[in-house]
Amino acid sequence: MTETTPTHEATSGHSAFLTALSHGDADSVKRFAEGLLPQLGAVEVLRSRTGLVMLPFRDTVKGTDFHLGEVLVAEAEVRLTDHDATGYGMVTGRDLEWAMAMALIDAAAAAGLTPTVLDAFVTGLEAANADRDRARLRAVEATRVDMETF
Amino acid sequence: MAYVATRGGEKAIDQSERLYRADMGTIDAGRVAEIRRALPWLIDRVMGEASLYEADLAALALAQSGGDLYEAVLLLRAWRTTQPRLTIAEPVTQDKLFTHRRISAAFKDIPGGQILGPTLDYSHRLLATGVLEGRPFVPAPVEPASTPAPAEQPSLAAWQKAQGLVADPAREDVALDDIPDLTREPLLFPAKRAHTLQSLARADTGGVLALGYSAMRGYGNAHPTVNELRLAEAEVVVRHPRGTMFSAGRVKVSQAEVTSKGRSGQLDLGFCATFGWNEIKVIAGATLDLNAPDAPQNSPVNEEFFLYHTEPVEASGFCIHFKLPHYVTFQSALDALRDARAKAAAPDAGSAASAPARQPAVTEEVPA
Repeated sequence: MTETTPTHEATSGHSAFLTALSHGDADSVKRFAEGLLPQLGAVEVLRSRTGLVMLPFRDTVKGTDFHLGEVLVAEAEVRLTDHDATGYGMVTGRDLEWAMAMALIDAAAAAGLTPTVLDAFVTGLEAANADRDRARLRAVEATRVDMETF
Repeated sequence: MAYVATRGGEKAIDQSERLYRADMGTIDAGRVAEIRRALPWLIDRVMGEASLYEADLAALALAQSGGDLYEAVLLLRAWRTTQPRLTIAEPVTQDKLFTHRRISAAFKDIPGGQILGPTLDYSHRLLATGVLEGRPFVPAPVEPASTPAPAEQPSLAAWQKAQGLVADPAREDVALDDIPDLTREPLLFPAKRAHTLQSLARADTGGVLALGYSAMRGYGNAHPTVNELRLAEAEVVVRHPRGTMFSAGRVKVSQAEVTSKGRSGQLDLGFCATFGWNEIKVIAGATLDLNAPDAPQNSPVNEEFFLYHTEPVEASGFCIHFKLPHYVTFQSALDALRDARAKAAAPDAGSAASAPARQPAVTEEVPA
């Protein structure tokens, strides 16, 4: 995996990797992380908590950034002591298990464990996420109106 | 200041809470899940006014309060204070919104076209009474288009600025930590624009509608036309400890611009956005924003007037505080009333009646 090096290209790949995990089906992410556990060795939990993320919004009239409100998120950070690697997860909502599963998968990627399996799982998640969005956008497209025909 | 003692109050208070909760019955996870599933628009409204996006907690607050919206918002805002703020996300920009609905009443041919999305705007409002007679109301499925709509739609305001139709003020870059925050600093007037928009985002839907409606009916300076209305989902983009920016998920948002002809030969725009899908609130809020410049003091479109009077927790709290004991204050008013009546009934009533009535001192009591 390339996400352990902070180059621009690698950072972009890491971003898509993390986003796939936080947008994916929570149960699938948890099951996959559980399957990874035997390979991770000792896991130290550095953070596991809920908290707030302030969400700014940009006004389209004057360009002012303002606070729309706070989003509750679940956050987790872990260290794989046998591999000297850390992983991090954050998802909207209160599902600490999901955030922990994401952190474990991120840590496994950082440690270079089973990159092919990880890549296949995340690629599958991305495809499922894209399918879900495409289905919604096809329904949305069905509501397009052409004002000239009114 | 005087006090009135109450005997037996502790037991009565305990029993009154028991009676309130007994009327609501047992609250379990199933009830909360059903509220969340069945009432998404109400959940959105509560999350917006509570300024906390978490649908399960909003459903729980509604279950606990029996649907009393002000109580639900208060519960959520109080719970929010128990949580640490972990970070500030990247600002949401219009062109990155995952858009479900996007219309304009001012321009028919907007870049990207008009998408009605989920709405009852053009529907018959018929109550499905058959449900009560055992015939479930099963909605007809959407017939999806063969190609998906673009997830992201261009900004109409940006196009208008490029055409010179509306002013294009220079945008000031502000560090995330420096964005003004009403929850950590007081609202002062004239308000910072960031405070105004944050306050409107949290405002009471009914209050914003009432005051915005008054402006629409002529108590404001400008009549609104919807420039652009969107229902969308925004990515919550945060930073990984190693520096990677990623989306932790999406939240539903609404935003509206309303427009009217300005004095400078251009169009004026008003803006409002909120958590959840609540287009009434953002249209009414944007109308207040449009009317606020140069509004007469104490008019409904004066910024101080509408921001103070649409804050749901403060307004409802002030209203319900009148239930607290005011016996001594009111006794003073009663004494003055009796005194005036006695003087009016006296033989020299003519001269006494013309004297100004004594005004009671304005004092309030609090329970001991």
